[in-house]
Amino acid sequence: MKRLPLEGIRIADLSMMWAGPYATRILAEMGAEVLKIESPTAWDNVRTLGALPDEDEPWNASAYFNDYNRDKKSLTIDLSGDLGRELFLDLVPHCDVVIENYRADVLDNLGLGYEVLRERRADIILVSMAGFGKTGSERNHVGYGPIIEQMSGLTSMTGYGDGVPMKTGISYGDPVAGVAATGAIALALIQRQRTGEGTFVDLAQRETMASLIGEAFVAASLRGEDPVQRGNRHPAFAPQGVYRCRGDDDWVAISVRSDAEWRSLAHHIGADHVSELAGGERRERHDEIDALIEDWTRTRSPQTAMEELQERGVPAGRVLDSDAIHRDRQLEARGYWVELPHPKQDVWKQPSSAWRLLEANPQLREHAPLFGQHNREIITGLLGRSEAELQALADAGVIGDAPINPSAG
Amino acid sequence: MSDLPLTGVRVLEIGGGISAAFATRWMAGFGADVVRVDAAAEALGDDQVACLLPGKRRVAANGLHELALAADIVVEDGKPGSLAARGLNPETLRRERPRLVITSISSFGKDGPYAGYESTNLVAHALGGILSLTGSPGRPPLCNGGSQAEYLGGLNGFSASVTAYFGALVHGEGDWIDISLQECAAGMLELHGPMSAATGERSERRANQTSAVWGIYPCADGFGGVCALARQIPALFAMVGDPDLEDERFTDPHKRLEHNDELEARMWVWFSDKTRAELLQLGVEHKVPTGVVYTPKEVLGSSSLQERGFFDAIDTPTGRAQVPGRPFLGFAWRKGALHAACADTEAVRRDWLGENA
Repeated sequence: MKRLPLEGIRIADLSMMWAGPYATRILAEMGAEVLKIESPTAWDNVRTLGALPDEDEPWNASAYFNDYNRDKKSLTIDLSGDLGRELFLDLVPHCDVVIENYRADVLDNLGLGYEVLRERRADIILVSMAGFGKTGSERNHVGYGPIIEQMSGLTSMTGYGDGVPMKTGISYGDPVAGVAATGAIALALIQRQRTGEGTFVDLAQRETMASLIGEAFVAASLRGEDPVQRGNRHPAFAPQGVYRCRGDDDWVAISVRSDAEWRSLAHHIGADHVSELAGGERRERHDEIDALIEDWTRTRSPQTAMEELQERGVPAGRVLDSDAIHRDRQLEARGYWVELPHPKQDVWKQPSSAWRLLEANPQLREHAPLFGQHNREIITGLLGRSEAELQALADAGVIGDAPINPSAG
Repeated sequence: MSDLPLTGVRVLEIGGGISAAFATRWMAGFGADVVRVDAAAEALGDDQVACLLPGKRRVAANGLHELALAADIVVEDGKPGSLAARGLNPETLRRERPRLVITSISSFGKDGPYAGYESTNLVAHALGGILSLTGSPGRPPLCNGGSQAEYLGGLNGFSASVTAYFGALVHGEGDWIDISLQECAAGMLELHGPMSAATGERSERRANQTSAVWGIYPCADGFGGVCALARQIPALFAMVGDPDLEDERFTDPHKRLEHNDELEARMWVWFSDKTRAELLQLGVEHKVPTGVVYTPKEVLGSSSLQERGFFDAIDTPTGRAQVPGRPFLGFAWRKGALHAACADTEAVRRDWLGENA
């Protein structure tokens, strides 16, 4: 069996919500052992977002949580007191990487900054993912994904053209920062392999988000331009748009890059009278062309519209909603959705790794851990503490197998 | 320069779209010798060239097989099968050079019924699921700005490639990585993906107000936003300072959802007379996540980003441009310069293959 790239790497994961947990899900897919650490009093809020209210342990029954935290082990530690802090610091020598996405000042306030961690393991890699970084005048701002997106410039570039900026429909800054963090960890591991030294990665989520709109900064700095909200149109490709299909809120995206694609589309939808228009003319008459296209798409399901156009070489894609995407032919054919049983909820289709290492072939291994599920394994096994010490930690509330005050989530 | 983390790593970029160019952009900054194979027709616009090609050497598209075998990482974003059609079958290359990492980025992956589909950023975004969630109810799903589907492919391509390269360093073997833009997005639909999978219900577009306390509102000089989870509600209500909000219909999490419209109406009013600077200041004071909508020009002027040295100044044929530089702090970085198309063909063949002109 070929080994996954991160086999043998252990990660202490203090991150919560989405950006950090998305990063560590990918690291787990790549073979790392991820120890997800939550406090019984300050646990990952995602556990109770989207949980079904009638569950007896809702914090273990959220599809949202369980999707992004599979293949990890759960260790609970209250880091705010000396006992918990010492327990965590005992763990550090066993870990290659510590990752956190607290507000910028929290890790230092807990007395767990990089210099403290280095005393326990000289080549430790620490990745901090505060929204605006650990330095700079905006470091004290608090931000979730949509705020990161607003402050990076992207939101201002999205809109129907009426001047109202529009947020991406997901907390887009989070997974972008998460994927970037996995790359930062790989770089740090490469550097450690070469030099024997660890590093402290200060990742500002706003900066990774801004890296995905580089052209806009070039236009702004060279020519003073601010981007125009184009709706679904494109500066060169015409027509381009998202068109209503038969059905309830069903749509198909169509994007025409050339005269040949346009002729093919125009003939197929019965718009021969405009099939010879050049690109510039198509841009000028875009509204009129959109109406012709939509007259045709309204008579078809989005799947049929896409398939008919693709058969004729026209770029077209069905707009898959969050439900239909789980039945998409392409994702199904590639075995993308996997049903991994979980003890506290019915099976649901989970995404497999987007990084298809065709030889090492990463697979989902373990369902997301129940709260504190691996406390004993890690504390008595890896850390070698006695059963009596384990019990003392539980009695002191440092560890726990259920969150305190879960309704506060 | 020996302290750059990827010094001595050879990277060959083939295909030339945003995905491949972005995947290798950070590798160049972190010290890799990135060689971009120029296509007959440049796929990138001038502004994309300025932000995606700094620090890369550029060669003509011949003798690629030898260059690929001299590389540590090959990144390509052609249509599935196009690499093999150029005599660079990935499976053969992997056998010939076991340490090689090959990363193929395409809209839908190398196999399956859509593998041969024609695609653009919008088309890939449509099939990835994010599009359906963006925009206003009753209006068409809306593509977010720039070329996000393609950039996401590049971002995943970067991180996957360096992760596999680390695996090759430790275990002695590379891999062939098949990255689909559709799959990059389909696994990151926030709660909407897993919730729909679990319940069979689809999530609707919610424009700028996912809920009253998670949204964007017009303010006195633009737009501002707030994102509050249940545990931040007390701080949010203290910041807003409206005693009516102490009522149970707003403080109780379930009742708050039932009275979301009323709360949203109050938030519209509250935001309307605040400036963006006030919103940011109030957020810091009350530890409430507030934000404001900045244009790219305003982001360029951010003192925080300047203090952190985020932007690189890159000379282009039409002047000096500011482009996003190092994505995170913690490693040495070089900003690099722009090279002309095919300018480095001879030098690269000399350095990588030992050829003399």
